[in-house]
Amino acid sequence: MSDPPASEAAPPAVPAPAEKKISPAELKKQKAAEKQARRAQQKAEPPAHQQQGPATKQKDSKQPPKDDRSRPLPVRRRASQSNVPVPKDVKKEPKKEVKQVGLFFSHLYSQPRQHSVVGASKDVHPAILALGLQYSSYVICGSTARMVAMLLAFKAVIESYQTPVGTSLARHLTSHHLSPQIDFLRSCRPLSISMGNAIRWLKDIIIKIDPSTPEAEAKREMLEEIDNFIRDRVTAAGQLISGYAVKKIEAGDVILTYGSSSIVEQSILRAHREGIPFSVIVVDSKPLFEGKQLSRKLANHGLKVRYYLITGASHAVKDATKVFLGAHAMMSNGRLYSRVGAALVSMLASSQSLPVIVLCESVKFTERVALDSIVGNEVAPAEELLSESEREALLPLKPLLPQSLRKGDEVEDTKPETGDVLKWIEGSENLQMLQVLYDVTPAEYIDMVITEYGSLPPSSVPVVHRLSTNT
Amino acid sequence: MAQGAATVAPGLSSFLKSLRTTPVDPSVEHFTSLLKRRQIRNSRPCAIATVALLLRVVSEFKGRDAAKLVERIRQVGRRLISAQPRELVVGNMVRRVLGLVREVVDENLDAETNAASEGSHNQHSHHDSLTRPNLTSSISTFSPLKHAAAEPTDSNLSQSENMSESGELWRRPPLLTSHTSYAPASNAPLVHSLFGLFSQPETPSNSSTPTGHQSPDGKGMLTSLNLERLADLSRSKTTIDLRAEVMDGIRELQDELEQSDDLIAANALDHIHSNEIILTHTASTSVQKFLLAAARKRKFTVVHAETYPHDHTATHGILLTGKKRETQGDDEDDVWKPLTAAGIQVYAIPDSHVFAIMSRVNKVILATHTVLANGGLVAAAGAHMIAKAAKDHQTPVVVVSGVYKLSPVYPFDIEELIEYGDAGSVVPYEDGDFVEKVDVENPLYDYVPADLVDLYITNLGGHAPSYLYRIVADHYRSEDITL
Repeated sequence: MSDPPASEAAPPAVPAPAEKKISPAELKKQKAAEKQARRAQQKAEPPAHQQQGPATKQKDSKQPPKDDRSRPLPVRRRASQSNVPVPKDVKKEPKKEVKQVGLFFSHLYSQPRQHSVVGASKDVHPAILALGLQYSSYVICGSTARMVAMLLAFKAVIESYQTPVGTSLARHLTSHHLSPQIDFLRSCRPLSISMGNAIRWLKDIIIKIDPSTPEAEAKREMLEEIDNFIRDRVTAAGQLISGYAVKKIEAGDVILTYGSSSIVEQSILRAHREGIPFSVIVVDSKPLFEGKQLSRKLANHGLKVRYYLITGASHAVKDATKVFLGAHAMMSNGRLYSRVGAALVSMLASSQSLPVIVLCESVKFTERVALDSIVGNEVAPAEELLSESEREALLPLKPLLPQSLRKGDEVEDTKPETGDVLKWIEGSENLQMLQVLYDVTPAEYIDMVITEYGSLPPSSVPVVHRLSTNT
Repeated sequence: MAQGAATVAPGLSSFLKSLRTTPVDPSVEHFTSLLKRRQIRNSRPCAIATVALLLRVVSEFKGRDAAKLVERIRQVGRRLISAQPRELVVGNMVRRVLGLVREVVDENLDAETNAASEGSHNQHSHHDSLTRPNLTSSISTFSPLKHAAAEPTDSNLSQSENMSESGELWRRPPLLTSHTSYAPASNAPLVHSLFGLFSQPETPSNSSTPTGHQSPDGKGMLTSLNLERLADLSRSKTTIDLRAEVMDGIRELQDELEQSDDLIAANALDHIHSNEIILTHTASTSVQKFLLAAARKRKFTVVHAETYPHDHTATHGILLTGKKRETQGDDEDDVWKPLTAAGIQVYAIPDSHVFAIMSRVNKVILATHTVLANGGLVAAAGAHMIAKAAKDHQTPVVVVSGVYKLSPVYPFDIEELIEYGDAGSVVPYEDGDFVEKVDVENPLYDYVPADLVDLYITNLGGHAPSYLYRIVADHYRSEDITL
């Protein structure tokens, strides 16, 4: 552990002539480190992601305790890798923390999000690297989509995997090869519940592989298992759920949905194909505007769609007859963990006595419980909140800003840039923007949860969860 | 279109500037077009512009016939209201001015009758539901009529009143408080606004007002005292300058508009304690001043929902600069610092986060567009879900509003009160494909029913929502409810 920091610290201290003596490998390493440092400095956020390696490891070991025993002695190699850039980060961190006092979600602010492949462990498979960036930029968004994409990427990882001499696949693959991949994904965006469930399942599969099976066969089996998993738990489940959901849609209904859920979309389109005349209201919210994609798709299929933002939700609810919501996860106490704002919509709907129906595959069920949206949540970067056009609209305010915020810009008073707005907010001491991605809907707002096991009240969630994990 | 400077976008300030030079009729035209184009919007600018315009209407009114003046104001008022029926404040202001005129006329009548015969007075006022003389002296600053009503016949007296009023008339002891005979429920708050005694709009007024009047006990002496005095005054000068009286009253109304935020803010310390977490929304001057007043003494945390898509720019602006840019009319001298500069932690959140945060919030403070007589309110879209979420979390909801926003309208048709805005601010028109296929809707206002509100704070103090109808009754006269 102490070795890499020493080599990091050494090069700057060494006088110029001495630099030639460094071995080419070391020189290369040093240059890479320098480059990294430069990039890290350019980026506004602290590159603390590298620190995550060890930090998240601890959490990881807590989460699935069962595979601790299957982990032989991995510590040394991994630690040295993930720790390479640490010393630089330590310097930057305190500066950031002055502002980051987040009253509500301070406990969630620990991990800034990874937006580049820089600093990723070299074990990370290219497919995972690409996937991670798609996660962090919301290209792949939605808990089912993220899980499926992850499993597909894992297939690529497994395909290119070769068991090193002296270990067995069952023992080596999970802890040495998959873990760095998972860590990288986690550094890009915290894992979704469904991803956690899938990872747990996959690790279970790997452990169960008979060490005597030849590697090629074991790999083939695993790939098949993954395919089956996706087929059973996602595709077939989706078919079943949308089948149930379609029966709930009657002619003349106005289905209200919030954000975008693949399973809701599937159900609505299926009902539309079956010729049921109904219309849809999509309620959406900034900053992701997922509902826009959904409305566009539905409208392209010829459905009558109305589009509201969350501020108009109380108007939207008045015209609706049923509410269909997707889920990020269903908690064991019957609460729905979903895109932030879903709680508001279901609250308004249930106050209007509209049935609130949650469509959710059982793979998203979790044994976790939650009472409010604050303890467990995912904090997203606040700068996402201000879109480019909003920043532009704020630019004319510049002359009105308090002196303290303006002083930096006064010198080159050329033309204001939209990035400045973020600096104002960053600069103003007591102002913070806050963004979380999920909220928890109390069970009393939810009338029905439709899963592939059938339709049930939210109180039956733990039962179904046991059912789905035991089989 | 009269426009102050080329650089100034048409709006409140340009209108006020042009009002000085333009005659009334083009000004009315100008104002209606500004209203129609939403270049003057939101309650305060509308109220200021309406009152300024009516002042001008009255000042240019020729003749002494009060009925004609009332008709003239009504006619202007109807035009303004039909130009933008959802800015209820316009109607409120027109009604207040009409009430002023009626007050002055009633004063005059009473004075005359007093002068003529005191015996006939009772009957007269009874008949009219106008109980002038005994009440005049107890009218407060807040009711714009105070001035017009107080000793109308003596110009000197009214002059001095005028000077003192802006300052602290409301602290003036309610001398000759014959109003105490009035409904006991109204006592405390009505000390400030005794206007109600005159204006008793609803039908019961006819029966209820005179009761105090006729009561022979205690106050009877006061009343007669008062009457005597009035009679004296009226004798000294029987003709009354209707126009000047009304104009004075309108100026008082303007003062009320100006001061209401500060008077509301004076209540702040009664409602905000240290380390509270307060959730609010939109860029409201009243709320910001209210919070600032509390921030001088106490440290608390503000969570600010940004009210996307129609008010977010103003909201961010007010958080960053403490100023509202969109209201061009905001006086330049009226500069105050943003809350953050007062050492208050402010968290801006998107509207969707309201439910997630609500479990940590101690108090919700809502700004409002209009307050309705039933205790409900019309506020920026999103207010309903905030209030509902607060209710579900047992968090108290406080509405901050000047009395001028209080409208005598009952929300029989809620949809009628809701304005829908530009869909382009929800989905930009560049996204033509989307806009074409999907109905994009952008409601600007929400109706929040009275049962979701726990407390109203107006410039008269704090009230329960169920009490608002009384304040409405105090400020508008039944004759003017329908214009």
